[in-house]
Amino acid sequence: MKYLGFIIVLALTIVLALAVSGPLGPVPPLAPLLDPNHGFWQNSYSEDKRVEEEVLLENLSAPVKVTYDEQLIPHIFAENELDLYRAQGFVTAKHRLWQMEFQTMAAAGRISELVGPIALDLDRMTRRKGLGYGADQGMKFLQEQDQETLSLIEAYADGVNQYIASLTPAQLPVEYKILNYTPEPWTAYKSLLLLKYMTDMLVGDRDLEYSNLYKILGGEKLNFLFPEYPIGIDPVVESEHKWDFTPLSISKPDSVTYPDDMLVIDPLPQPEEGIGSNNWAVSGTKTKSGSPILANDPHLSLNLPSLWYAMQLTTPSNSVKGATLPGALGIISGFNEHIAWGVTNATKDTRDWYKITFADDSRKTYKYGEGWEETTFRIEEIKIKGAETYLDTVVYTGFGPVVYDKSFKSERQDVNFALKWNVHEGSNEQKTFILMNKATNHAEYNAALNNYTAPAQNFVFAAKNGDIAMRIQGKFPLKWKGQGKFFMDGADPKMEWQGYIPNEQNPSTLNPSRGFVSSANQHPVDSTYPYYVFDNSYEFYRNRRINSRLMEMNQITIQDMQALQFDDYYLLAAEALPTMLQLLGKEYEANATGQKYIQELRDWDYYADPNQKGPTLFYIWWDKVYDQIWHELTSFGVPIVTPSNYRTVQLLKEQPEGEVFDLKKTPELETAAFPVKKGFELMLREMEELVSKDADYQWANFKKTSIQHLVPQFKPFSVENVYTGGGRGIVNATSERHGASWRMVVELGEEMTAFGIYPGGQSGNPGSKYYKNFIPLWADGEYLNFNIRKADQADAVLFQTTLSPNL
Amino acid sequence: MKFISFFCVTALVVILLNPIFQYWVIMIIIAVLAMVMGSSGAAAFFGGGLGMGVAWLGQSYFIVATTGSSLAEYMAELMGLGSSLMIHLVTAALGFLLGSFSGWTGSLFRAIMKRKPTDYYKG
Repeated sequence: MKYLGFIIVLALTIVLALAVSGPLGPVPPLAPLLDPNHGFWQNSYSEDKRVEEEVLLENLSAPVKVTYDEQLIPHIFAENELDLYRAQGFVTAKHRLWQMEFQTMAAAGRISELVGPIALDLDRMTRRKGLGYGADQGMKFLQEQDQETLSLIEAYADGVNQYIASLTPAQLPVEYKILNYTPEPWTAYKSLLLLKYMTDMLVGDRDLEYSNLYKILGGEKLNFLFPEYPIGIDPVVESEHKWDFTPLSISKPDSVTYPDDMLVIDPLPQPEEGIGSNNWAVSGTKTKSGSPILANDPHLSLNLPSLWYAMQLTTPSNSVKGATLPGALGIISGFNEHIAWGVTNATKDTRDWYKITFADDSRKTYKYGEGWEETTFRIEEIKIKGAETYLDTVVYTGFGPVVYDKSFKSERQDVNFALKWNVHEGSNEQKTFILMNKATNHAEYNAALNNYTAPAQNFVFAAKNGDIAMRIQGKFPLKWKGQGKFFMDGADPKMEWQGYIPNEQNPSTLNPSRGFVSSANQHPVDSTYPYYVFDNSYEFYRNRRINSRLMEMNQITIQDMQALQFDDYYLLAAEALPTMLQLLGKEYEANATGQKYIQELRDWDYYADPNQKGPTLFYIWWDKVYDQIWHELTSFGVPIVTPSNYRTVQLLKEQPEGEVFDLKKTPELETAAFPVKKGFELMLREMEELVSKDADYQWANFKKTSIQHLVPQFKPFSVENVYTGGGRGIVNATSERHGASWRMVVELGEEMTAFGIYPGGQSGNPGSKYYKNFIPLWADGEYLNFNIRKADQADAVLFQTTLSPNL
Repeated sequence: MKFISFFCVTALVVILLNPIFQYWVIMIIIAVLAMVMGSSGAAAFFGGGLGMGVAWLGQSYFIVATTGSSLAEYMAELMGLGSSLMIHLVTAALGFLLGSFSGWTGSLFRAIMKRKPTDYYKG
């Protein structure tokens, strides 16, 4: 009997131990998670409670000192570049390991490994776009042509891996514990993949939508509604700039036939609206101190852990500080003791689709000119949690991968289109940042940029010697006018890109007479630039607001530039609202609520500050009016884009009686007043519903800016309803989910004076007090001191760690 | 008396050794201790359970008190437990389960071991 009792209790104990050791469906293993000594509780410790004064690292040539300031910003002092980047890898991993790995898992199309079959389509899509293929080409390029850069990237990877090897179960980032997996070794390939991922995040195309629009509207009306250079644009390179080079010739085919089908399919996921950035530099002639000031604020999806990680990287010959991307080497937006630079996305159509005509079902050859070209097959092996590995065969043509085919979304009408994209080419973006980090003048900045392919960026520049500059850098295909705006026939060799614009002919400007350079994702150039430039997503508002402010400002200080980054002026509203109110007329005089809103709009100063009600009313009203105006166009039921806000306001103001406002389905002749009035009526309805739920319709409360954890389901790790102003098309571009992901202002005086902030914190650990401590400052438009630290500086030190060679 | 001493020993083992060893090693140690100390079934069950449960509860409160971190609240919300009090209690309950069954197993094992010599002398 006692034996039986023992066996039953032993069995129960073993079953219990096993049950709490393994996952129960979606629930992670309970005991490893809840054990106070190894589980999530251990992630409650902030970094300053877990200080290590000395850490032994393999492969270092000399000790590396890491000084953390009071904001947990590490300042790395190394004797040479190899040690520096090894230490950067180690330190970054220490604070952001989970995020680094998760982002590259996403970039590699490996999310199914973590979450199971639910992510299979997402992973297939990522791979079929060719991001992994692009990173492979990048590795090949480095192996063949730039061993030096490769060795630095490998040193970084080694640093990351030494950190991973030193991790105890208790120290494992909490996301691993919840999702029940462990980190795998980092590789140089992953660093390259990360930069490809950034390209994917920032580059889109609207070939499908424009192909549909061409069919619906015809060429003439398309150009009327979507002018490539609308009147009044304010390009990145100032309009008065003279192009002093002889452009390469581009031969346009005599006849171009566009696809004739109406394409009822969903477009490829596009970069989200609201992703954009501002940067500018003012020359010493416009500043109070006489030194140039440079400012940069890239707008991205607002996430935790933040995309950015602040650092200072110092060798005996160079000190550079600013924002890094965890996983990539060096500083991406920052300054050293000689220069400062910053980036904004330079949208330009670098992605095109070619119709492929395969010889037969085997897809081994496709028609090209008079003959047939061979394809290659890339087998993508997708591991899936809880299911068998999935093998996906992707056909690669001379143009690029065939994204949709008989095995992937075969119901689409654009199956068998190949994606041509410069992200598929071997390139060396990493070298740009490594060189830029130690550039000392304009020539060295240019030399660094010559290595840069994608995602194309507007690189702003300022130097201590007084130079300010802007260069739009990417590898831009040579295109004849209109090429790549619509789908093209891959069987016709005349449709091929005809090479690339030489680097020295990319738009750039140095010390323009207006005393400043700036960019905000608008048109890069005006129509005098000798090459074809097209993109659907050019900005029309932030750029004009920034330029008009910079134009009128003098005696500029750092504080002025900080204020401009936080500027809430809603230019779209300022331009559209007076016309809307006028077109609305006296229709709503008798309606008390309508009258109240009209009065609030009339009293509004066009600033989208968090406590204002005007922006909420305008935002909803404009949204409804815009929908009404383009309703007939969107009701075709095929994917299209609608004209820009800028063009819409132009039509509203300049051609209120114009044909675009007339609804074809009614016998009456409608004018611009119709959508404006209808829009107001719809706004009243929406406001009624809104106010019934929450009477407070102040802008911040309506907008509800949130900063989400990278796993959206981990809601408690996110920060919601941040009280802050701004919005889309506003210099402070903080909308619901996007905004200034990093703000930096640098004055290039005898000593560099720098300020920076980002919506997050230095720690990637949700349990740390350094996880989101910057958010309140960021939301208020405040900054942290970002001055370069000296190795022996003793003030404001949180703690220090010495990385010593393990001899 | 045996209950109190076993409770104290278990708690001490968790506090001193759990930081080094995973929970399943601690379970084995508790079982061995129950066997060696000769606790009765109830004393081993409740002493081991309360020893580990209270130690885990204490450790979790100690961590929150010394770090001021909100992670416990976040985790409680994430796991659908509502408040951070609940996640402390769930942690303690899990500790109790693991400790109690380990202690009970150990004491029963000792009971089997004891029986043989008794039979031998009688025989």
